[in-house]
Parts: sequence; structure tokens; C-alpha cells
Amino acid sequence: MKSIKLEINGVQHEVEVAPWRTLLEVIREELQMTGTKEGCGLGECGACSVLMDGKTVNSCLVLAAEANGKRITTIEGLAQAERLHPIQQSFIDNGGFQCGFCTPGMIMSTKVMLDDNPNPTDDEIKKGISGNLCRCTGYAKIFDSIRAAKVAMAASSDGRGGA
Amino acid sequence: MVTFYRRLPKFDYLAPQSIEEALALLSRYQGSAKVIAGGSDVVPKLKRRAMKGIDYIVDLKGISGLDYISYDGAGLKLGPLATVRAVERSDVVLETFPMLAQAAESMASPQVRNRGTVVGNICNAVPSADMAPSLLTLDAKVSVVSEKGSRTVAIQDFFTGPTKTVLSADEIVTGIEIPNPPANSRGKYIKLTPRRAMDLAVVGVAVMVTPENGICKDLRIALGAVSPTPIRVAQAESILKGNKFSDELIDQVAEAAAEGCRPISDHRASAEYRRDMVRVLTRRAIRELLSDEAASAQGFGKGA
Amino acid sequence: MAEFSLIGKSVPRVDGVEKVTGKAGYAADFSLPGMLWCKLVRSPYAHARIVNIDASRALRLPGVKAVVTGKDFGGWTWGWMPATRDEPPVAVDKVRYWAEAVAGIAAIDEDTAEEACDLVDVEYEELPGVFDPEEAMKDGAPAVHDYAENNISVQYHWNFGDVEKAFADAYIVREDRFATSRATKGYIEPPATLAYYDPSGYITVRAAKQSPYFHYRHLAACFKLPLSRVRVIQPYIGGGFGGTKNDSLAGDFCAVLLSKMTGKPVKYVESMEEELTTSRRRHNMITYSKMGATRDGIITAIQHKVIADGGGYTAVGPLSLYLAGFGTTLPYKLDNFKYDGYRVFTNNPMGAAMRGHGVTHTRFAAECQMDMIADELGMDRLEIRMKNSIDNPAPGTTYTTINGVTLKTCGMKEAFRQVAEPYWHERNELPKKEGNISWGVGVSGAPYLTGARQMGHQACAAIIRLCEDGTVNLITGATDCGQGSDTVLAMIAAEELGIPVSAVISQKVDTSYTPADPGSYGSRVTVLGGQAVQKAAQEVKKQLVEVAAQTWKVKPEDVDIRDGMVFVASDPDKQMPFDRMARVACYSGTGAVIMGTGYSTYGLEPLGMESGYGNAGVSYSFTAQTARVGVDLETGQLTTQSFTIASDCGRMLNPLLAEGQIEGGAIQGLGQAIYEDFIMDKGRTLNPTFVDYKMPHSVDIPEMKLIDVETNDPDGPYGAKEASEASHVSTPPAVICAIHDAAGVWIKEQPATPEKIVKALKEKAKEKAQK
Repeated sequence: MKSIKLEINGVQHEVEVAPWRTLLEVIREELQMTGTKEGCGLGECGACSVLMDGKTVNSCLVLAAEANGKRITTIEGLAQAERLHPIQQSFIDNGGFQCGFCTPGMIMSTKVMLDDNPNPTDDEIKKGISGNLCRCTGYAKIFDSIRAAKVAMAASSDGRGGA
Repeated sequence: MVTFYRRLPKFDYLAPQSIEEALALLSRYQGSAKVIAGGSDVVPKLKRRAMKGIDYIVDLKGISGLDYISYDGAGLKLGPLATVRAVERSDVVLETFPMLAQAAESMASPQVRNRGTVVGNICNAVPSADMAPSLLTLDAKVSVVSEKGSRTVAIQDFFTGPTKTVLSADEIVTGIEIPNPPANSRGKYIKLTPRRAMDLAVVGVAVMVTPENGICKDLRIALGAVSPTPIRVAQAESILKGNKFSDELIDQVAEAAAEGCRPISDHRASAEYRRDMVRVLTRRAIRELLSDEAASAQGFGKGA
Repeated sequence: MAEFSLIGKSVPRVDGVEKVTGKAGYAADFSLPGMLWCKLVRSPYAHARIVNIDASRALRLPGVKAVVTGKDFGGWTWGWMPATRDEPPVAVDKVRYWAEAVAGIAAIDEDTAEEACDLVDVEYEELPGVFDPEEAMKDGAPAVHDYAENNISVQYHWNFGDVEKAFADAYIVREDRFATSRATKGYIEPPATLAYYDPSGYITVRAAKQSPYFHYRHLAACFKLPLSRVRVIQPYIGGGFGGTKNDSLAGDFCAVLLSKMTGKPVKYVESMEEELTTSRRRHNMITYSKMGATRDGIITAIQHKVIADGGGYTAVGPLSLYLAGFGTTLPYKLDNFKYDGYRVFTNNPMGAAMRGHGVTHTRFAAECQMDMIADELGMDRLEIRMKNSIDNPAPGTTYTTINGVTLKTCGMKEAFRQVAEPYWHERNELPKKEGNISWGVGVSGAPYLTGARQMGHQACAAIIRLCEDGTVNLITGATDCGQGSDTVLAMIAAEELGIPVSAVISQKVDTSYTPADPGSYGSRVTVLGGQAVQKAAQEVKKQLVEVAAQTWKVKPEDVDIRDGMVFVASDPDKQMPFDRMARVACYSGTGAVIMGTGYSTYGLEPLGMESGYGNAGVSYSFTAQTARVGVDLETGQLTTQSFTIASDCGRMLNPLLAEGQIEGGAIQGLGQAIYEDFIMDKGRTLNPTFVDYKMPHSVDIPEMKLIDVETNDPDGPYGAKEASEASHVSTPPAVICAIHDAAGVWIKEQPATPEKIVKALKEKAKEKAQK
């Protein structure tokens, strides 16, 4: 067993893990944060996307031990108390999901995209979520959601859609 | 028995702090240790039990200073931890070796590119490895070390078969050196896939051409996914070298490239289609490179 | 004042916050203390006799708690209809497809369960397999089931009108062979369950099922328990699209039996590769299509011989094959129609239901063939469709097809009109060739049925309970697997009661408390579940209005409820907020208990599977679509540039959600048309990953323009009909007809991969050279 430290959504965790555990397994099973989903388990669908030191990774492909000392953000870390992140609100308002299973990963990819580039073109939006499969929406309403989120975030002084 | 695993097999995770320490581990555990950089190839292989007998994972990420992308005027150096994403976005790569950035961007997904490394892509050594054709045309050199010493392997000699390289179990790639391409050269990587993301190349063609006054001073062509390893096609390259560009010669080059590969039929495409596409894409790449402004200034155009 | 306060508005989903914050719990998100994990041992042969299974080595592995094999299920088998119950939970004496489950293991964790799989010793005697349905029908082919002669699982022979005479009289007759691919649903959530068999004789499961009541019946029958002792609790469902999540899987049955044996809860989560290898997918069907037309392009006869690859078991196959025939008489007028359908057993994974069920195969054939005929006649491809389309019946009248399908509304012609300008007629003003890319535009029409009938239980039901604070509990057996039905049903309840959607609290299915329902099956929930909710809400309203009438001493018909107010229109003094009136009702006198119930009554006609006559659905939706596609003439690569989709889905109850359905259906259809196919080698799936089973990514998506063609069907709440299955069906022919328009080649076998296109272009060039 290895003892590792993870900062998840600003909270420090110290966990004992087997060397063959993935970051996804630790988040979902050890820490009981089930917002991050497992789709394919092979890094092909993006459902398990989380931010590690500000970059999207497929948490199913990251060994927990590799994440030792890293800063992780999961879907649970976006809303502040009852206040949704503008990306989350935009996905609700614009029908950016149906079954919701790809949604946590999709929103994490969107967050990184808009953090890196607050004003992506339509083409950049498509590329930004090209690692996240969605089978329900046909993506059109996801594009709408991201466009609207971009506007909402630009309009707010803190970049989070607040006044 | 058929079992579909969701869990990784048991192994120990080792994070050496120096290359020396890593080499000592590889030497000690011989073939039962596997080096990872990003892990984006190794982890799925382990999960699917496509890679067996691995008792130790040796993660290089504990070693500082290996993620460099540096340019010294003579060439580019990529460290073993330089991610595909970093190469794709690196200013110096975009300015000096745009073909590399282009190949990097064509790979998998942003998530995978954030983890996967260029060195890992060539060490994984699948015939369709996207970084390989460009590195082949650029005459890249791979630096390899073991406890016994270090050596430099030309990328042309690096691949020995599908998922096989010259690396022995106790060796680590410490970097790739990419010399400056010839002056006035330009290059392009064309990746043929059904979709625009997450696909492996059905055929990958990298071409680098150096035109001078309508003459082909230099031509380099490398192919992915059409032979047991990514390859250069010297015979095809020689057809144009030193000659004036013409549609006929370009067609001959394309034909020779198609003849120079050894594709297989699998669930992604037939050998026949792959060979056809080598012909089409080699021709297309050369033509597109020549149809740039500079080339037209040299009097070469369609039907010339 | 608008006709409705909520219906027709793009109300955001009621489950939105849960889904965007990660709080929505899907089956794999649940755990119980002391829980064991189940893993399945699967066969390395596609067709083999099981000689012996020895699990002793596995049982000796520390942490392994129990092993079950097929024999432990006592010979129970199941299937969609009584006559076709040929599928055991786990293979008993024979495996019929590659990776069929042969044993289930329970262990303290999943790692141990996986390790133990390798320790189960199974002795097989390999049998010759059969993998091509046309080969399987031949005499002497290996028999997949002893009871099925020539491996024919189901067959239908229908004959309406006189096709022979019609072909003889036709100006033009074409015969072509078409084939659809082995496409799958492709949800991102793999199947999962958490099962507990209480020692006192109750089963409780949380499972990823879009039809929880099917699962409840399967478990009750398998474990010989009364239904009242089986509790299936529905979590959030990560996509359905038919097939697997309608049904029960080996892992579901094993988890319950292993729980019974160990006394512990057992969790089972399928790997995606396992799902893509073994799960029920769309039948690949071969359609031999013969079509006749007059010189003016009136289609006079269609004859279809369909051969469907059924795989190892019957599953829902009889319905698939029925729908492939039934749908052919829509959306065009047709006087003569003959259908010979065969569903054939092979040693492939099972063919079953998927969105666009049945109709997609034969509609693809007929749409392409119509274009071929139009081209031969020198006729515009849209014009031939306009000419043949069924007209919208006048209100109060019905159109009946030659096989007894009755339409009360049909927006097909109007939908074609809507895509005609500018999308069809202006196509020639767009560039035809750009570099290596040749552009083409295709047009297609498609029907789909609302509320596919069942052989058994058909109705949806609802219970609405008024709480004293003015909120209501909405209890239905409907399952929202992503399509948004929880939102639409809440809107209907709120609309009828005159309260906000936020005052309606929806209850997910719990088979112990919610009413029986076929679930998300055959595009039924909005219409049948909607009707049930509408009735239940009207019942609640009636009771509350009576309380108000008594309170105000007026006649009940003078009282109405709207925008959260109970009021008497003629007397401004008599009004009260809904929640206060609820309190009055609940507290006055002994206190009323206000509850309303309702169940759907649309579509009571039985399914005429043998005769092929009569309705398969309650109502019928229609889609007209154009697709602009670029073909790289050298590589065969495709660029799908735009879709225009005009949909008659009756009245859109929630445009945001309905549009999402139509777009999603179309893109799933795009995948089927050009990318998706399982490549098989002797029953083994060679591409069971999302890298190689190619579903569209964000970067592959065309611009989509949607047009709403409203028809307001009398057999649907507020006029609603199905949305999404028709656009799923219209997309493949639109795209493949566009490829022909662009490149001059017909790709008659889906998917139209770059390689197939290049091959067809080469053959065309060869033919041209020979001429």
C-alpha cells in the first residue's frame, strides 16, 4: 500500500492505496465522490475527465500514485455552495445534456477550454470537447451551452458569471 | 477463458528520483518492469491484459527536468516527459517544426495528449504511431541509456516490428534530437481517418520537400500504418531528388511509395485500400506543399 | 391568454441540477456495506457444448465467496414472448455466441472476482459455428437451436394487394440488395446492478434499466417469487436506446443468485468492452427490395425479402422483424406490398431492439431505391416523394394503409415542403466541387410509430398525491433514461393543475410503489405516460375544485385553477392560492386525502404480428430531411456539412427537449450511416472499443437546422407524437443518397465507409472504361 496525498476541490486527503489503483477508483470508491463517471475505462470516452493541476485527464488512466501531491478538481468542485458555476447553469438552460452520464466530464473539458481561451470559436469549441463522447444530444445543444457559458463568463467580473 | 477486466493487474509502483535510479530498477527487475511516462498506452494495455508479466511500473515523472522542449539553433530536443499536448502548443515547435505540432494535434483527444508523451508514442511503436512519420522525415535521433552505457539510435533504426523497438528491457529513452530541416524545406503530415477525433491512422503520410528553382533538392517521405513499422520509402524519394518537379514524376513517386509499403488487412482497412491511399496521399502531400506561395513563385503550378 | 401556460415552452429539465453537479446517482454509484462484487466467466468459443465446469480452484482463492453456473438456475429460460423463451440466464449445456457467460463469481472485491475467473475450469467441445444468416438458412448448416428448422427463429409472410400484377403493369421495376450494419446503442453508462436477496425472501435491486418492470418480471419468474417480493429501484439511467437496458443480463441474474447464496449484497458492473462484445445490438438485416413505379413516378408496389441476423437467441427479435415489415407502407401511398421476413439464428451476439427499431432497415432500402427510380425516370428526387407522400387526413378522418395502419395526422408532405425551400431547391447554387471534394445533397422521408404495442401489458399509469403545502407527488412507472420524460410529465401535471413545474415532485420507479409500466420502450412515455398523468392530474383538480366549490358555495364548473390560483372567474372575491386551497382541503372537516390516478387508453388494438395487419403504434411521426455531404473522391472520406430536418412530432410539448431528441437521433443515425459497424470474425467482435467502434465525436457534427411541422394528433396529450426515432431513421438514407448525388455511387451496405466509397468509385471507373 502507498500513502498518497491528494488535494481534491481544495480539500486535502491522505489515502492508503494499492499501487494498481487508478485515480478514478480512489475518487469514486475510497472517497465516495461518485460524480465522476466511468464509461469505457480505457481513456476513450472522456466520462471520467477531471482536472489535474489544471489540465483535463482521463482519471481512469491515471494511477492514484501518479496523482500523489496533485491538485484535482472534480465536478463536485465547480459549484460554490448552492451557486452553480455558469457552465453548469448554461448546460441546464440550453439543454446541454440528456442522460447526464457524460456531463461531468463534458463540463470539466469545457471549464479548461474556457479557462485557457475565454472566447473560443465554434471550431475551437468542437475541438475542446473532442475527447468527450456524448451519445444522447448529437452535441448541438452542448455547443449552444458552451457558447452561452462563454458569454455569461465574459459578462461577469469574476469570470464565474457573478455580478 | 474470456474475462473483461475493469481492474488493473497487481504491480508495484516505483518512482525513481533520477535516471540512474530508474536504470538500476530496470536492471534489477529485468523484463518485469515497465517504464511509463504518461501511461496513456501502458495503462489500457495492462487493463486489457494485452501486456503481461509486469510486476513493477517505473514512473519517470519523479525525475525532474525531463519535460524539456528546447531549441538551440541547430535543432530541437524533446525530453521523455514532453507531452504531446506541450509539443502541439509549443511556440518553437510551431515556428520551426510545424509538421510535428500538426502530427501531435492529430492524436487521440486533449485528455490523452495531456498525459501521453512524444517519446512514449514512439516507444509504444504501433505501426500507426502518429509522431513517427514526421520524426522519420526529420531524421530524428533517439538517445538511449542503460546502466551499461548510452547510445544514439537513428529513428529509422528504432522500430523493429509492431510494438517492438531496439530498446532492451533495461534501457530508457532520454530524449529525441531533431536536427534543423534543410533550408526552405516544408513538411506536412496527412492522417487518414474516418472521424476527426480519437481515431488511429488508417494511413499516415509525412512528406518533407525542399524545392529550389523548380528542382527538388530534397524529398523525404515516411509512412505510418502500412508496414510492420513506420517507414521511410527511399526508393520513392530518389525519383524526384535532383529533378524538376512534374506531374509525371510526382505520380511516379506516389506509385513507388505505394509499392514500398507492406500493409495488412485488418478490421480498420484492407491492404489494398491502404496501399491506394499511400499513393493518393503521397501525391496530395507533395502537391499541396508545392502549391504554397513560394512554390508558385518558382514557376510550378498545376499541370506544369 | 395563451392556450397553455407550460405546454410548448422550453422548460429546463427538472433533473438539471443533479446532473450538472454530479449528484445524480447512477446504478454503479451505489454501494452497500459488506457488498460483494460479481464477475462473469465467459466462453472463448462461439458455439460449443459445455462438457464440465469445475469451480473448485476458484472457490479456494481467498476472498471468493460463491460461484454460480447455468445449472444453478434450475432450467429457467426467458424471452420476449412465451413461445420464444429460449435464453437461459447463463449458458447451461451449450454456448451460442462468443463470450456468452458460463459462470458468475462473487468475491470480496472486483479484483479478486476477476482473478478467480481464470481459475474456473470449463471443458468445452467446440462445435462448428454459423455466422452468416444466409448461410445459416441453408440445409445442413450447424443448428444453433434444435427446435429451429434451418435456424429460422421467426418468419412472417404477408401479402397485401397484388404485387405480381403491379410489377407486370409497372413502367419501371428495380431490384436491389441493401444491408444495414451491426450498430449498437452506444450509451456511455455500462450496464450495472446492485442486488440484494433478503434471506426472508425479497429481492431488491438498483439496476440500470430503461424498463424496470421487465426486469422485475424476469427476476420474479427466475427466482419463483411473487412480484410483490421483487423490488427494482430505478436510479438515474445513463442512456438507453433500446435493447440491452430493456432486458436483463447474465450479470443481473448472477448478482441476485449470488446474493441469495451468500446473504450479502452483490454489485455487478459490466466493462464497456464486455458490453460492446456481448450486448444486444441492432440486427443487421439484408433487404432484397423490389420496387415498381409508373412512368410518372407513382410507386405501385414494393416487395421485401428481409433476412435478419438474430444471433444466438430470440430476445425481442419477433418484434424487430415485424417492425421491419410493418413500416414499409409509410410514409408513401402504396397499394401493393409483399413481405417475407426471416430472422435467423447464428453464433453471433443477439440482434435486438434499438432506436428506429425495425423501420430503419427497410426504409433505408426503399428511400435509396426511390432515388434510383427517380433518377432513371429523370425526375427530381424530392418531387417523387411529394408525389407519393400520404396526405394529412382532414380533421376527424383517418387514412388507412393497405396493411391496416391508421393515421389521424400525417405531416409528411408539409415536412417535404418545408425542406424544399431553400434547402433542396437551392442546393445547385452551392459549390458542387471544391478541390478533391465533391458535394451532394440527399433527401429522405421517414415515419416512426409512437408507443410500440406490446404483446402483454401496454398501459402507462400515474398517481398524483396532493400535499397540504400545495406541492404534489407525481408517481409513475415511466423511466427517464435521458430523453427528458420526467420533465415533460411534470409539465403535464403542472399544466393541468395550474401550478409551477417546481411544485411537482417526481418519483423514480420503485416497483414496490409505482404503477406497472413498460418503461422507455417504443417511444411511448410522452404520449402514453403523458395521457396517464393528464388524467391523474385532472382527477386531482376535480377533487380540489369540489372542495373550493363547497367552500365558496358555488358550482364546481364555475371554479378553475390557473397560475397557482384557485378562482371563480365571475367573482373576483372568490380566489385563493393553490397551496391555501390545498390546506383547506386537507384540514377541513375530517380532512380530504386528495389523490388522482389515471392510466393510458390509447392504442388498445392487439398487435397483428402474424397477419401484418393493423397498427403497431398509437400514432405516427414523420420526418423529412436533407443532408449535404462532401465526398473526397480520392480517399472516400466524408464531410457531413449540414442537416435540415423537418419533423412532424405532433405538438412539441417542450421544444428544447424535443429538439435535443431529434438532433440526438439524427447524429446516432449519422454514425450508423457512415461510421458504425461491428467487424466480426467467426462470431468474435474485433472492434469492441470506442476507438474502433466509431461513434461521432463533437468534431464530426454537421450544422443542424430543425423545422417543426405541427399536426396536433388527437391520440396524444395536447397533440403530441413521438420525436427522434423518425429523424434517426431518415438520416442514413439522406446521407447515403447525398453520397450518391456527390460521387455517383450507391453504397447499399451501411456504413458508407471511405473504403467502400473508394471501391465503388473504382468499379464505376472500370465500368465506364469498358463502355
